[in-house]
Amino acid sequence: MKAKLAAVALLLATAACGADEPGAADDGATLTLWTRAATEAVSKAYADAYNASHRNKIEVTAYPNEEYPAKLASAAGAKSLPDLFASDVVFAPQYAAQGLWADVSDQFKSLPFKDSVAPSHVRAGTWEGRNFAVPHTIDLSVLLYNKDLYVKAGLDPEKPPRTLREFAEHARKIDQLGGDVNGTYFGGNCGGCVEFTLWPSVWAAGGEVLEADGRSARVDSREMAEVFALYRDLYDQGVASPASKGEAGPTWLGALQGGKVGIAPGPSVWLDAIEAKGVKTGIAPIPGINGGESTFVGGDAIGIGATSGKTQQAWDFLAWTMSDEAQVEVIAKRKGVPVRTDLAANKHSSADPRLVTVNGLVAKGKTPYARNFNATFNDPQGPWLTTVRGALFGDATASLMAGNEAITKSLRQE
Amino acid sequence: MRRRAVSGALYATPAAVLVGLFFVVPLLLVVWMSLHRWPLLGKPRFNAPDNYTAVADHALLSSAAWFTVRYTVLITLLLFVVAFGLALLVQNRRPGVGFFRTAFFLPMAVGFASASLLFLGLLSEEIGPVPLTGDSPALGSAVLLVLWRFAGFNMLILLTGLQAIPVDVYEAARIDGATRWQMFRRITVPLMRPTIALVLTMMITGSLLAFDQFWILTRGGPDNSTTSLVMVIYREAFVRLDLGSAAGISVVLLVLLAVVSSVQLAVLRRRSA
Amino acid sequence: MSRWSYYVTGTALAILFLFPLVWSGWASVRTDTGFGAENYARLFSSANGIRAVHVLNSLIVSALTVTGTLIVATLAGYAFGRFRFPGRDVLFLLTLAILMVPYATILIALYVLLGWLGLQDSLVGLSLVLIVFQLPFSVFMMRNSFEAVPIELEESARVDGCSSFGTLVRIMLPAVRPGLVTVGLFAFLTSWSEFFAPLILLNSTGKFTAILAVVNMRTASHGSIDYAALEAGVVFMAVPCLVLFAFMQRSYVRGFTSGALKG
Repeated sequence: MKAKLAAVALLLATAACGADEPGAADDGATLTLWTRAATEAVSKAYADAYNASHRNKIEVTAYPNEEYPAKLASAAGAKSLPDLFASDVVFAPQYAAQGLWADVSDQFKSLPFKDSVAPSHVRAGTWEGRNFAVPHTIDLSVLLYNKDLYVKAGLDPEKPPRTLREFAEHARKIDQLGGDVNGTYFGGNCGGCVEFTLWPSVWAAGGEVLEADGRSARVDSREMAEVFALYRDLYDQGVASPASKGEAGPTWLGALQGGKVGIAPGPSVWLDAIEAKGVKTGIAPIPGINGGESTFVGGDAIGIGATSGKTQQAWDFLAWTMSDEAQVEVIAKRKGVPVRTDLAANKHSSADPRLVTVNGLVAKGKTPYARNFNATFNDPQGPWLTTVRGALFGDATASLMAGNEAITKSLRQE
Repeated sequence: MRRRAVSGALYATPAAVLVGLFFVVPLLLVVWMSLHRWPLLGKPRFNAPDNYTAVADHALLSSAAWFTVRYTVLITLLLFVVAFGLALLVQNRRPGVGFFRTAFFLPMAVGFASASLLFLGLLSEEIGPVPLTGDSPALGSAVLLVLWRFAGFNMLILLTGLQAIPVDVYEAARIDGATRWQMFRRITVPLMRPTIALVLTMMITGSLLAFDQFWILTRGGPDNSTTSLVMVIYREAFVRLDLGSAAGISVVLLVLLAVVSSVQLAVLRRRSA
Repeated sequence: MSRWSYYVTGTALAILFLFPLVWSGWASVRTDTGFGAENYARLFSSANGIRAVHVLNSLIVSALTVTGTLIVATLAGYAFGRFRFPGRDVLFLLTLAILMVPYATILIALYVLLGWLGLQDSLVGLSLVLIVFQLPFSVFMMRNSFEAVPIELEESARVDGCSSFGTLVRIMLPAVRPGLVTVGLFAFLTSWSEFFAPLILLNSTGKFTAILAVVNMRTASHGSIDYAALEAGVVFMAVPCLVLFAFMQRSYVRGFTSGALKG
C-alpha cells in the first residue's frame, strides 16, 4: 500500500505541466474555457465571435455559480485545469497566489492598449508584481431607481441623489407612498452584496475598507460606520423592505424587478433585466455620505490554466478579447461595460447616455485586493458577513470592532 | 473446505478491488494530505501535526461541531419517532395499507439534490404555498426536508423488524393479561433492538455528515446558525484552498464516526448473536 | 387502533407526504397566464437548459451503475453470506465504512485517481465511483438476502453436482430476487439524481448529466431564481424514479424484509 501511496503522491507532485509546443498562436487548436453560469452568456459571445474569425476553437463549459470554486479547486488538485478559466475578479489574487494561472506578464506588457485595460481588474490579477489574469467581464455597482415611483412621490426622475443622505431622503419619500412599496432594498444576509453596494460609499468619502496590501481591515473606520448606520436606520424605520434582512442574494434581482422598490444600489448589468419587466429605471453613481462618487468594479477575470499546454493559443484568444473589435462588437453591442477605459464612449453606448455614465465609472472605481478575499468576505461562513449582520441588525459598534479584528486575522491566515 | 475459502475470496474480489481502489487509496491519500501543507499545485510540505493542532482552536469548527451535534440529536429523535409511528401504523395487512406504505416511502424516490431544490421552491416567498419566514426558518426547512424524505425509508426498515416478531409471542403475552404498552415495552422494543440499532446508526452517521440540505437550502446561514461540520471541511478545501486542513478535520471526524458506530455495532452484534 | 382512526390518520399523513410532490407538479405547469408547458419549454430550450445529450448521459451512467452494482454486490453478498475466507470481516467493515467519509474530502483524491486510470471526464469513471458509494447499502442488503436463503436449497444443488457458481446462478439468484430488485432500484435512484460527483468528476458540457443542468437553472441568471423552471426540472428528474418506486412497492418491501433484517 505504501508504494501505491507514494505513487499517488508522486503523481500529484509532478504530473502534467506539458511543455509548450512551438508554433503559431492561431494554429487551429481546440481550447477549453471554464466559466460560472452567471458569466456564461458573455463567455459564449466572446467564443462565438472568436471562433468565427480564427482557426482556434474555444469550447465553453459553464458550472453552477456556487459550486464553481470547488470545481476549479478539484481540477487544480488533479493537475487538469482547462486551457482558460474565468473567475469572480475578487477571487483572482487567491488563484494567482496559488499559481492556478500561468504568468502572462510579458505578453500583457506588449499589448499596445495595456494602460487602458481596467486598472483595478489588472491589479486584482497580479501577484508579487507578475500578471496572471486579465479582465473578462465588468460589472459595476450603481444606484438603480424606479422612475415611475419617483414621479409618484413628487421627486424629479432626472435628479437622482448626489449624496447618500439624499439617497436616504428619496427612499423615505417613496416609502411614504405606502402599500407594498418600499423605499429601498439590500442584501442583508449576503456578504458579497453588501461589499459590492456599500463600499463605494466609503470610497467616495475618501475612506478605505481594506489596506492596499490586503492584509489589514479598516471596517471600524468612521466612514464605514456612517454608511452602516444610514442603512441600519432605513431598515429600522421600515423604509428598506423587511426582506432585506434575510436576502442572501438569490432573490435580489427579483425584488427590484417587482417595481415596488424606490431606489437601491445594485449591479449595473441588471438595467436591462429590470426594464424587461416594464420598470422604467434610472441609473446613478453611488455617492458618499456627503457627496463624491465611486463604484465597485466587479465582474470576472480570466487567465490561462497553469497546467495548459497551449499557452500561446490561449493568449491569442485573451489578447483578442481585449481588442477594440471584441470590446465594441461583442461587449458594447450587448450593452456590457467595456474592459477598456478608452472605449467607454463607443458607437453602441452613445445611443444610451446612461451607458456612457456607467462606463465612465470604471476609471473611478476600485476592485478590493486581498489574497483571502473569498474566505473573508464572500463566503457565508467568513467573518465579514457576521460583522455586517451585527452592524445592520445587532450591536453595531461592538460588531465593527470585533469584526475588524476577525477580518484582519482571516486576511492574514496562511 | 479450502476450496470454498478460495471461491469465497474470488467472489469478493470485485468488491475488494473497487473498495481498495476507490475508497482505501483515496482515504490513505487524505490521511497523507492531513500531515502536510498541501497546495493545489506545487510541492506539499510536511507540517504534522499542525493541521491537527489547528482543529483544536478553530472557532468556526467548534460552533459547527456544536450545531451538528444538536442537529443530530434533534433529527435522530424526530425521525425515529416519526418512522416508528409510521411503521406501527402500516404493520398489519389491511386494505389500503399498500397505498399508505407507498405514499410514505415515495419521497425517497426524489434524489436529495432535487428534493432540496423542491423545498427551496416550496418554502420560498416567491411561489411557495408555505413560505417559511421569521427569524430562523433555516433549520426548520432542513429538518422538514429530512423528515419528509427519510421517514418512509426508515419506516420500511423498522417494518421488517416488526414483522419478524412471531405473532405467538404477542398471543402468549395477551393471555397473561399484558397491556398494549407492556407488550410494546417488553416484547417489541427488545426484539427489535438490532433493527433499531441499525436505523439509529444510519441516522446518526447521516446527520453528522449532513451537508447537501444546508448547502442548497441555507448556505449555512443566517449567522452561521446552520453551518455543519462538513460545510467547514468544504470551506477549508474549496474556499480557503487548504487541503491539508480539510483533510485533518475529515480524519478527526472519521475517527469519531468510527468510534460512535462501533459502539452501536457492538450493541447490535451482542443482541443479535 | 380502530378501523376509522386508522384510515383517518393514514390518509392525513399520506396527504402530508404526497403534498410536496403534488405541489411541485402543479407549480411546474403554472404560468403567468394559467397553465401550460412553458416552464418545461424553458427548461429544455434556455441557453443552459437540459439537452437530449444530458438525458442520454444520465441514462448511460444509470445503466452502468445499476449493472455494475448488481454484479459486484451480488458476488460480494454471496461471498459474505455463504463463505468463510480470510479477510472477510475486514472487507465487510471497510465496505460499511464508506458511509462514514464526507464526500467533500474524498472527491479530490478520487479525481486524481481517475486521472491516473485515464478515466477523467468519463461516464465510466463516474459510474465506478457511484458504484463504490452504492456498495455499503447493496452489499449489506445482498449479504443478508443470501443468508436468509435456507441452507437445504443450496445443499440440494450441491448434491446435484452444481459448482458454487452454478448454485449461485440456478438456485440462489431466483431466491434473492427481491433483494436484487431493491439494490437495483436504489442504484438507479442514486445514479440518476446524484449531483456532487458528476459536478466534480465531469469536465465538459457534452458529458454532463441532466441534474447538473437542473442545478444550473438555479443560478442561471444571478440575482433571481426561475423557480417555475426549477420545479419543472425537479419533476423531470423525479418522475422516472417515482414511477419505478410506486409500481415496484411489493418487490422492494420484500427485498427489505429479506435484506435489512439482520444486523
